[in-house]
Amino acid sequence: MSPTITSPLTSSDDAKEQLIEECEEMWRVIEECQNKLALQETETLPDSDPKLPLLMKRLKTQTAEFNQWQKKEPGVITTNPEVLVTLGRDQLQKLDQELEMVLSSVQARNKNLKQNLLREQQWLEEHQRLIDDLNQIEEELSNEIVNLSEKRVFQELETKTLTVTACKDKMLTALGEFLEEHFPIPEKCETTRKKRRSEPEVQLTTLHEILENLIEKHVIAPHDPYITINASFWPPYVELLLRYGTALRHPEDPDRIRLENFDN
Amino acid sequence: MTTLAAFEKLPTLNSATILLVGTNSVFQQQLAEAILKEKQDLKINIHLTTFLPLPTERDHIRPRIDLIVFIIDIQSKYSFKEIEASLLHVDANFFLGKVCFLTTGVGRMDQMSVDMNAVLKLADRYCSPVLFCELECEKIRIATAQRLIRMLQICSGHLPGVSALSFSTLMKNLNNDSSFMA
Repeated sequence: MSPTITSPLTSSDDAKEQLIEECEEMWRVIEECQNKLALQETETLPDSDPKLPLLMKRLKTQTAEFNQWQKKEPGVITTNPEVLVTLGRDQLQKLDQELEMVLSSVQARNKNLKQNLLREQQWLEEHQRLIDDLNQIEEELSNEIVNLSEKRVFQELETKTLTVTACKDKMLTALGEFLEEHFPIPEKCETTRKKRRSEPEVQLTTLHEILENLIEKHVIAPHDPYITINASFWPPYVELLLRYGTALRHPEDPDRIRLENFDN
Repeated sequence: MTTLAAFEKLPTLNSATILLVGTNSVFQQQLAEAILKEKQDLKINIHLTTFLPLPTERDHIRPRIDLIVFIIDIQSKYSFKEIEASLLHVDANFFLGKVCFLTTGVGRMDQMSVDMNAVLKLADRYCSPVLFCELECEKIRIATAQRLIRMLQICSGHLPGVSALSFSTLMKNLNNDSSFMA
């Protein structure tokens, strides 16, 4: 404790007085300087080229300023401890306020940043989930594509088989109709004659049936494709088949015929 | 011919005075309002005029002027001429950092009627910095006001350690970097 601060009131009064005194001293110095300056005449620059004189002036002034700074010693504004303490407290309080402001602003920014971080993390999570979902969908889709292609091939094959079968059936019926129309069983036209001569005890086979038998035999037993001509075969039809080269007679047995080999 | 003297009066306590010279009074008014709106520890006096010298009859109530700002409207040849004429009435001591040129209207190059080089050359002749701005735009006006206040604080000696001359030397070096002098 310094002895000057015995009673706070008187000491602060003293301090104030001392300060005012010091200020007035300073003001006196300023006035002195001002008086010296006022003596100096105002200086107008030449109209045409003010740059050079101005630069000279600036140089002079700057040199003077430089010298002043060199000579100047950092001084204490006042020696009164009371004033210094008050001033120091003031400045510390000001600093405190400023620092508190900085703190609050930094906290606010931190909070903001945290919120941003949270939001970004949420976004990230959502995006991750989205990516997962998309990947899953992609996988499913690719699997489906494989399945689809197999299925499609099957379906195509099936439809092809169906069309081929249909075509075959159509052709067969068409052929059957043709045969039935153009090579019917010779019963009607010959009933009168046959009834007289000999009663045909056997039902005659149609050309269609003969051909079918021949084909069947050919397919089932290619090693022995001959069928035996029996009474149900109407001879003109057998002759027709042989003449047109559809069937061949067995070289040794005239009663047996086979389908001509159409392979080559 | 009366000249505006730099040191004929004592400074006033805790205040600074800025003089805006320009032909467009609307711009001056707006800029002055913008300067006054800025929060300041300092009491700022703003004086507006269209030309120099200032009338002598009210000289005794006018405080010491710390900073003269010449507002050049790039779209008006008249403003440039007026300012060229006004410059002759300024004490040489002002050119030790207490003068600056404010060029407005630089946003619209197509409507320029004053050559930019002429402005830069004028500023160079008087060894003073040039600020570019667009006073019609409010944001730029506020920014310009803040710059001017900062300069005024320096010029009136309210910032310890920086003198108007040293500051203007810094500004001038910046301006000299531009290639117009080549």
